Amino acid sequence: MVGKIGLLANPASGKDVRRLVARASVFDNQEKRAIIRRAIVGAVASAAGSGSELEFVYHNDAHGIVQQALEEFGGDIKATPVDSTQMSSALDTISAARAMRDQACDIVITLGGDGTNRAFCLGWQDAPMLPISSGTNNVFPNLREATIAGAAAGLIASGQLGSELMLQQKCISVHIEDEREDLALIDALLTNERFVGARALLKPDQFRSALLTRAEPAAVGITSIGGLLNPVDARADHGLWLEFGAAGDIVHAPIAPGYYQDVGVSVCQTLKLEQTVRCVGPGTLAFDGERERTLRDGQEAKLTISRTGPRVLDVTAALHRAAEIGSFIKPQQTQPAPKTS
Amino acid sequence: MSDEISNEVLFDLHRRMVRIRRFEETAGKMMEDGKIPGALHLYVGEEAVATGVMAHLSNQDQITSTHRGHGHLIAKGGAFDRMFAELFGRATGYCKGKGGSMHISNMELGMLGANGIVGGGPPIAMGAGFSNKFRKTDNVAVCFFGDGASNEGSFHEAANMAALYKLPVLFVCENNGYGEYTPQANHQAIVDVADRAQGYGMPGVIVDGMDVIAVYEAAGEAIARARAGEGPTLLECKTYRYYDHVGVRGMGLTYRTDEEVEEWQKKDPIDQFETRLAEQGILSAEAAQAVHDEVLAEIDKAIKFAEDSPYPEPEAVLEDVYA
Repeated sequence: MVGKIGLLANPASGKDVRRLVARASVFDNQEKRAIIRRAIVGAVASAAGSGSELEFVYHNDAHGIVQQALEEFGGDIKATPVDSTQMSSALDTISAARAMRDQACDIVITLGGDGTNRAFCLGWQDAPMLPISSGTNNVFPNLREATIAGAAAGLIASGQLGSELMLQQKCISVHIEDEREDLALIDALLTNERFVGARALLKPDQFRSALLTRAEPAAVGITSIGGLLNPVDARADHGLWLEFGAAGDIVHAPIAPGYYQDVGVSVCQTLKLEQTVRCVGPGTLAFDGERERTLRDGQEAKLTISRTGPRVLDVTAALHRAAEIGSFIKPQQTQPAPKTS
Repeated sequence: MSDEISNEVLFDLHRRMVRIRRFEETAGKMMEDGKIPGALHLYVGEEAVATGVMAHLSNQDQITSTHRGHGHLIAKGGAFDRMFAELFGRATGYCKGKGGSMHISNMELGMLGANGIVGGGPPIAMGAGFSNKFRKTDNVAVCFFGDGASNEGSFHEAANMAALYKLPVLFVCENNGYGEYTPQANHQAIVDVADRAQGYGMPGVIVDGMDVIAVYEAAGEAIARARAGEGPTLLECKTYRYYDHVGVRGMGLTYRTDEEVEEWQKKDPIDQFETRLAEQGILSAEAAQAVHDEVLAEIDKAIKFAEDSPYPEPEAVLEDVYA
């Protein structure tokens, strides 16, 4: 058996203007290379002795992050780049995701923030994923040591563990009048701002409404606004709809790392799966913390929440299960009896 | 962050970019026709960077430029007539006709000079930043440089000192992917120059240098940070020059493909911006064209002014020099 692990690192994650305004973490590409290398170490370690071979199927990004990590690792591993674009934009991630889907990867390790994973899911919406955080807003990816994340991925790809340890995520399907469809994993927000610009969402007085798949009080970003009013976790079969304005609760929320703001919330209500809400322009739609699409005056967007997103591996559960089945326990070496003359 | 960007600011950004584009197109044609002496390094394609940054500056704020400096001076408020006069070598030019394209400067506008030396600007900007802090002003010094210049020792020394003394300096890397004719991959092992910021102890961020709003927003934050005494920032703008390193089609070297140029031209900063302004009913296509027409008329007058201006007298060669 050959188990396939997809590898994708977003060179652009963790470098936008939120480093200035909010003092968000900086992830340079040397660090990303080191993270990917540690994930490879973990995957190889967990698959050793399973009787399965591993193949790493990777996006050869323009910065060569994964390629260099594989070269540094060395060793006798099979690694194959996928056929993806080199546009230095989200299109590269989308095309790589499609190629990994076509290659039937057993699991894909992604390195980035919520925006990176959203782009990946635009190419492969229900992908089996293990997202590692190196972005700004990190609700979707795990803040997790890469060695252990890689080990969990190796357990899946080598067939030692099954898909029951993956939870299919909620997502928001976005239908914009007369334009291509879009997607959000955590939140979709309509702001009065007229341009995508530097993408960051830092002006709560411009917020109009938001749909959240998860409202996490222990996270940063738009999700925290709902989370501090009415928490909704990944397993709940509903989302949260917010309308912003002064005539309601004032929530002191961390809308970006290191950046608390007062946000007025006039409506906060749960929304069942498969329900649709409408937004009307002018304005800009932001997905997973970044302004992405502008709406003309009167242009309508329909947002539908459903559980049709990626399947994400529970790393902790995977390693507990590995302990139960002894994945990392080697048989005792039998000592040869001393020779007597 | 401040409130939503006003229409007045949007119109200003648009006009600044059009002024740069039309000036550079005209200057490039005149150079190739042999009407302008010497070499011109033209800024066509990179207009959003100078524009997005300069919209936050006053004449009291200083900039240092590169050998590709026309766009910086225009965005800082440079007048076409004195610029063309300088390119024509006339006494009415910004440097009395003795500086030419690569040394054009004007202290009243806070333009401390284009520079013929790759990496020549950063130490000057660092010095201006030191002066701003020492004199207890809230002025900011902005240093424009390229990916190639970020390999020079002068850049490293200036960045180190600016961070050490928390000087009000903004380092703007115009990363157009080439150090003259050398692709970035052949002159440095990194792709993001912003990654170097951490090594000096300052924040480094990346923006789309073909999107004037993205540059405007990011530069605004970095400049506000500098004015507040929080120190320097390295802002890397991913951009592209449509013309060759020198002139329009330059030396005809095949160091990049036409397809690559065409791909970047699809992201043209002026076309993109005009499309968005029109879509949102802020500026119609007709109104945008009127701006182009006004700028072209201003250029015609400026060229006439330059052509009618005298050359400097021979004895002027010993004026305005230190040694």
